[in-house]
Parts: sequence; structure tokens; C-alpha cells
Amino acid sequence: MARLQKEFTKGFWEMIPPFRLVLGLCPTLAVTTSGINGLGMGLATTFVLVFSNLFVSLLRRFIPSQVRIASFIVIIASFVVIVELVMQAYFYPLFKILGIFIPLIVVNCIILGRAEAFASKNGPVMSLADGLGIGLGFTISLTVLGLIREFLGAGTLLEIPVMWEGYEPFAFMLKPPGAFVALGILLAFMNLITQIQARKGG
Amino acid sequence: MRDILRMIVVLTVIGAVSGLTLAAVKQLTAGPIEYQTVKFVKEPAVKKVLTGYDNDPILDRKKIQAGTDAQGRPVELTVFPAIKGDETFAVAVEGSGKGFHGQIGVMVGVSKEGKILDIGITSHSETPGIGSRVTEPSYTDRYKSLPAKKGVAVDGISGATYSSKGVVAAVNEAVGLVEKFREEIF
Repeated sequence: MARLQKEFTKGFWEMIPPFRLVLGLCPTLAVTTSGINGLGMGLATTFVLVFSNLFVSLLRRFIPSQVRIASFIVIIASFVVIVELVMQAYFYPLFKILGIFIPLIVVNCIILGRAEAFASKNGPVMSLADGLGIGLGFTISLTVLGLIREFLGAGTLLEIPVMWEGYEPFAFMLKPPGAFVALGILLAFMNLITQIQARKGG
Repeated sequence: MRDILRMIVVLTVIGAVSGLTLAAVKQLTAGPIEYQTVKFVKEPAVKKVLTGYDNDPILDRKKIQAGTDAQGRPVELTVFPAIKGDETFAVAVEGSGKGFHGQIGVMVGVSKEGKILDIGITSHSETPGIGSRVTEPSYTDRYKSLPAKKGVAVDGISGATYSSKGVVAAVNEAVGLVEKFREEIF
């Protein structure tokens, strides 16, 4: 039980993607122009991650190690296509905004990374916890990053204007360089907190 | 040898199961996806050209076999009916015409009495600020309450002759289609 909890919660701080794993930066930088976009992308990735982890773990004894990467990719790609079709059928505006980045979830290193490093070596329950934890961590990161960029770049939060009238938004924050700047500042903050914790501890 | 056989079997099974699953999901979502695509691409124009209906013109859209194209494939005409009570009192039909840069798509609302209610541009790639003026109400309003018969003509916008001609051609195509399939539409 303690282990299950550990595998689940490690995705929220210790191994929170993309900050600690530094994987999956392409969608992180590209789609986080608003909180909603970040949330949508994060949830889509979480869905794929949870199911690919589950199936990789269930099939780990049947898949010969020589063809494991090919098998993992087929499993991941199938769930990505399912997400894409479901999104197109029920969340069309979000589908339009995320566009090419939904099929690109296939090559998101977080997903293949978790399949290879965790699910192919652990049981289905642990793998589910790992996938859900890492996926939710990714969702939180993308949403926070999206909210920061939306707040500074458009003066809104979740599409509700929050700044005073006459606020001149930093359009720069919605452009690709703004994504790097926001990501860098967030990482710096996280490192600062870790340092303070380490000093207190020792 | 056994290893190779095992690899082949495992990969084949995984591929086949995934293919079957995806085919099933594709079939299940085909209907909603078509509805969503039509809704988000056409609905703004349909809402502009039709008023006073109490149905969902997107949900009630009708498909009419409208002959074949140059390659002999069947062409479908989609009409969006505006229904009040039990009566279809108007329809929206899309036509297209050649503008200055490619095709201009125009949604035309036609009443049962044979008048144009309004038009709305669904797609165009005309020059911003010049040809794109055909999308403005000051231009599209000129079509209001003209008779919906082939040969519709309105004054063009000076400086945007080709774009204006494209819209006129598109409107004529749409009203021509309504005339031709009147029986099936109303």
C-alpha cells in the first residue's frame, strides 16, 4: 500500500514532468498558450499514458524483448488515435486548437519512457498508479504553465478577463520564446524550493 | 527459430487487435464527427441567413443526390432546412464561385416563396481589406429579398470586381440548386 502511494505521488513533485523528467517538452512549449489548452493536452496525454501503461504491463510477459519497442509503439499509437477520434467527436473546438499535437502524443517521450522504464518491469496495479500519477503531474504542469502565459500574455484566466482596464498584455508570452521564459522561471522556482527544503533537512 | 516465430505471432496479434479496435472506434465516432464538423464550419453562416426557426437546421440537414461530377462520382447536396411547426419555410444551401484567389463559399438562405433571405460567406481566401470586403454586411445585405432565380445580379464593390463576381456566381449556383431540387427540399 505504501509503495502504491509512492508510485502514485512521485509524479506530483519528485518526478513531475516535464520539469523533473525534462521529457515531453514539445507539447509543453507548443500548446500552453492558455490554461484550457494545457489542461486538454494534459488530460489527453494522461488517458494515453494510463492505458498504455496498463496494457504494456499486462502483456509484458508475452512480448519478446527484441520487438518490445515496436509493440509498445503500436499500443500507444492505438490509444492516441482513440483520443483523437473521441476529441474530434465531442470536443471539436479543443481538437481544432491542439491540432497536430494530438497525433504527436505518439512520440511523446514520457509515454514510451514510462512503458520502457516502469510498466514493462512492474505489475498492472503499480503501472496504473504510475501512469495516473505521472499523467496528472504533466496535466498540472501544463495547466499552470498555460495559466501563467495566459495571465501575462492575454490578461485573462480561463478566458475570464482579470486585469484592470487598459492593461497592455505581453503578447511575447504567447509566442514560443515566452514558453521558454515561463518554463525557465518555473524551473528556477522549483529548484529554489528544493534547495530550501534540503537546507532545512540537513 | 522459435524466437522468430514468437516475435511474428506477438506482433501480428497486437497489430490485428489494435486494427480491429480502431476500426470499431472509427465507426462509432463517424456520426458525431460529421455533425461536429458541419456544426462548427457551417453553423455561423446558417444562423446568419435563417431566422425564426424552432428546429436545429444542422441536425435536420438533408442530403440530396445532385448528379455526378466529371469523374462520374455522385455529388451530394446538403440543405439546411428551417422548420417552424411542421412547415419547412426556408432553407440554407451552399454554393461556390471562383473569386480572385480560389473558391468563395457562400451560404444562401432561400424562403419558400422564392426570395433570398440573406447570404453569408463560409470560406474565402480573398485579399484582406480589398476582396474580403464581400464578407461585410454592407455588401451581403444587397442580396436581401432579391428573387431567388438564376441570374441574380447586384452591384459589385469597386476595386474588388473579381471577388464580387465570385460571390454572384456562388449565389447563382445555390439558388439554381434550390430551384432544381425544389420538390425534394420543401
